[in-house]
Amino acid sequence: MSTPTITLTSADASMARFEKQTTRYGSLTMTAGLIFSLLGPIYLVFFSDLQIAPSMIWVAFLAVAATFGVLWIVEPVTYFPILGSAAMYQAFMIGNISNKLLPAAIVAQSSIGAKPGTKRGDLAAVMAICGAATVHLTSLLLFVGVLGTWLVSQVPAEVIDVARLYILPSLMGAVLVQSIVAMKSLRPTIIAIALALLMNFVVLPAMPAVAMFATALVVIASILVSWVLRDRKALVTTSED
Amino acid sequence: MQPQLILAAGDPSSTNIWAIANTPFLWFCALGVFAVIFIQTILYARAAKVAAPHVNMPARELKESFRAGAVASIGPSLAVVFVAIALLALFGTPAVLVRIGLIGSVSAETASANISAVSMGATLGGADYTQQVFAVAFMAMSLSGAMWMLSTLILTPIMKKGGKSLAKRNPAVMALIPTAALLGAFSALTFAELPKSSIHMILVAVSAASMGLCLLLAKVLHAKWLKEWALGISIAIAITAGYFLHTAA
Repeated sequence: MSTPTITLTSADASMARFEKQTTRYGSLTMTAGLIFSLLGPIYLVFFSDLQIAPSMIWVAFLAVAATFGVLWIVEPVTYFPILGSAAMYQAFMIGNISNKLLPAAIVAQSSIGAKPGTKRGDLAAVMAICGAATVHLTSLLLFVGVLGTWLVSQVPAEVIDVARLYILPSLMGAVLVQSIVAMKSLRPTIIAIALALLMNFVVLPAMPAVAMFATALVVIASILVSWVLRDRKALVTTSED
Repeated sequence: MQPQLILAAGDPSSTNIWAIANTPFLWFCALGVFAVIFIQTILYARAAKVAAPHVNMPARELKESFRAGAVASIGPSLAVVFVAIALLALFGTPAVLVRIGLIGSVSAETASANISAVSMGATLGGADYTQQVFAVAFMAMSLSGAMWMLSTLILTPIMKKGGKSLAKRNPAVMALIPTAALLGAFSALTFAELPKSSIHMILVAVSAASMGLCLLLAKVLHAKWLKEWALGISIAIAITAGYFLHTAA
């Protein structure tokens, strides 16, 4: 990134070719993945006689967009400096970036003694993600696709019903604690929890119609209040360096 | 009533999610995503193999990197598998494979599905979680995931050309927005579970406490694997507690 390239060496040229190739392969495969991922729900919505009105899709999508829309842009921008352009196309299709792909890349770089950001480091990271993808795809197909489907079909229906009824509270409590610990930022945590309590125990009982956009409202309010009440001292020192 | 092409016999008010969620065409689409990623992996590995000799990197090091990445991801992959199996009853296998296993993450996708269900006045996994609600939720989470990919497709070339300083220009905003957004979303969705029933309330507490304990133990014992498995373990404990509380009630 900061190395001055006065003469184009063969190493630079071959890395430039690598970048060009991976950008082309990466964007083509990602577009294909995007199409495949949409075909399934499109088939259900339009060709399965489920009597779904377009407005249902729009309202649901708007509610989700209002909650996660800001992350669509922020996440790619955040991960780009760490992943580099080649791995971006891998990472956002394979998923589980921070808990799997980044550690895999770092382990690979250290096992061959390559520094991140160098040419060797970049190639090691891409190969490590290839290795991680191979293991991940295989274990998903085998253990979820084949074994999981069989397992769920063997479990009695009433156990499945109970699991379905209580999966959400069983998941969300842990997810909330996990993200609080991972974020390590006290102020936004307190603000988000206070706003969520306010929404669920004050606003919603008084105005049940808000339910549709309750999560989105808490998200937007959390961002705004966290920004207004931010720790200005800490922020000034970080933006100075 | 316009004549419509109907390929699968769905029943909008049926709560038999698996009847519609495991149809062959959905399996075909899920396997399509798998195939695309496999092809991408092969193309990338080939491109790296061509470039490596020119940067003084022996083929042995490429192989070693591949193996190191593969070994490092066994634990996290199996942890994802475990959580994915827990969600099979809710979404069916193809949707779980694509949304939870690959493109998205457990928390964001389940949150999106929950938000969609609420927007239709239903509860995810509840008595009013019908095939129609599932299809709308699946569509909304897929559209949201598509937006993530679309912005990656659009932003990556732009950032490569030098716009990479966006994150550097205002690090405070860039760090604060995702933190506040995720904490806001997960807090709102977690507390929305509390008023549903006393069992829901207990399970949120059990799940949160299990995660807290796992993370604490992981830190004290320096057990990285426990951190990876924490979500799966917490779900298993809470669901088991839910089963006993439900059958006792």
